[in-house]
Amino acid sequence: MNKIELYKTAFINGLDVVADATFEEMQLGVTKEWDSIGHMTLIAELEDAFDVYIDSEWITEFNTYQSGIDLLKRLGVDFGQ
Amino acid sequence: MTFISIEFLLFVALLVAMYYVVPHRFRWVLLLAASYLFYATLSIQFIPLLLVSTAFTYVTGILIERQDEKRQKKRLMVMGVFVLVMFLGWFKYFNFVNDSLRAMAGLMGWNYDIPYQDIVLPLAISFYTFQAISYLVDLYRGKLKAERHYGYFSIYFAFFPQLVAGPIERAKKLLPQFKAEQRFDYEHVSYGMKRIAWGFFKKTLIADRLAPMVATVFSRPDPTGSEIVLGTMLFSIQLYADFSACSDIAIGTARLFGIKLTENFRQPHFAVSIADFWNRWHISLSTWLRDYIFIPLCKGKKKRHQIYVAIIITFLISGIWHGAAWSFVLWGLIHGIYRVFGDATKHHREQLASFVRLDRTPELHKWINIATTFQLVSFSRVFFVSDSVAQAFHHARLYVTPSSWAPTGMLHALELFSLLDFVVFLFFFTAVHVFQYIERTKGSAWDWLAGRSTLANVAIQLFVIVSVLVFGVSSEGFIYGGF
Repeated sequence: MNKIELYKTAFINGLDVVADATFEEMQLGVTKEWDSIGHMTLIAELEDAFDVYIDSEWITEFNTYQSGIDLLKRLGVDFGQ
Repeated sequence: MTFISIEFLLFVALLVAMYYVVPHRFRWVLLLAASYLFYATLSIQFIPLLLVSTAFTYVTGILIERQDEKRQKKRLMVMGVFVLVMFLGWFKYFNFVNDSLRAMAGLMGWNYDIPYQDIVLPLAISFYTFQAISYLVDLYRGKLKAERHYGYFSIYFAFFPQLVAGPIERAKKLLPQFKAEQRFDYEHVSYGMKRIAWGFFKKTLIADRLAPMVATVFSRPDPTGSEIVLGTMLFSIQLYADFSACSDIAIGTARLFGIKLTENFRQPHFAVSIADFWNRWHISLSTWLRDYIFIPLCKGKKKRHQIYVAIIITFLISGIWHGAAWSFVLWGLIHGIYRVFGDATKHHREQLASFVRLDRTPELHKWINIATTFQLVSFSRVFFVSDSVAQAFHHARLYVTPSSWAPTGMLHALELFSLLDFVVFLFFFTAVHVFQYIERTKGSAWDWLAGRSTLANVAIQLFVIVSVLVFGVSSEGFIYGGF
């Protein structure tokens, strides 16, 4: 499983969304399943999947599918693989 | 010297004049001396505790930074937080724990002989302790460097505009502002004075005008249900006016020195849900609890019900932070339950709204949500304002009794006001709502005001000042100053 698939799996598990959802359009507070509580379960899934620690400051910055990828890149995750 | 006094205004005016005359390298001395003097006028006996807490946090911060290993840093951080919590615990919670244990021992038939201790709560200890904890945790997390300048560090601990009742600030935001050379800026001074005047307006014309009515209801041995309903809703308005006025004066005073403090309120009584309410009410405490309690509790939790437990614990801590009494614990628990229940039923409520076609009239739906949230918040404040748990439950039962809401009873309860008091309150309450309406529709009432003619600005400022001087009343201190 490549990193993007791993990332999407975290969304599927954390937010309880279907596998063929349009992940790229997902936004915190806009996507029905991605509310403030779902956000915390998603964070736990991402931390577990990528073995990173997401700080409280970054948790509030992470609000779209793409901003999550940018955040993980800052934490050293290489999405090129 | 309280915020609402001529002495405070003269004190600030003198300080501002000196601040911009004194060279930048000596300004910290001026701010620190002023902060300690301000605290001494309110609570001189607890100056030593403030000094010890400051010195302890300063040294612990440097020690944390000096450690090479993360484990050692963590150990020191935990020790530092523990000691700070012990300071707070001794003064604020000793008798609460002691009384609770004695009551439990009485029920169980155990022998318990630790006597009640006559402990006075040090002013502002809840606020400066939370600032100190955030400093140590942020240091441990590597978000900032330990402050070496003891003077600047001491101001962070005791900056007089926000010392007594917040906003609870982070070192990362405040320390660089103290160190930067603040030049005299007319815009800052003008804005600061307007915020202070607006704080005086809300405190003396809304909060302190309502205070006697609320006190009358909750000190009566046998109030009617309608009086409890009206008194609780008036208390909600009083509490918001009182605390937001305190924040206005703090923010305005700090701005006179070029310092920007965190906004603490965003019209909380217009929140559309409990989650929204906590994004608008006492924002600096809510974000503190989020960053240092809730998020750490959520780490590794992948199930919604596990997050619910974290929410309940966070709200219980919020409740106990407000006051050392079971009624505050229950108040926190109620908000935790609201938040969890609100999340668990979200989809069902959306379906219901769709079924009754409320989703086709979003404006009506929004106002129904605002009214419902206000009622939920007001109901919880029965526990906030009552003197004991037994009294709180009695008042809560009256609040939810349908007959308490009968129009005749409510009209009768309005007799708490004299006709003149009622007309004066309604007039100034409307004025506050006009301000809030401008905020909601124009973005910032202050920016909107700045765009008006000089004549309009002078007229509005004169209206605020004359209203305070003619109709303003003042009681002792602020409600949150007691926390």
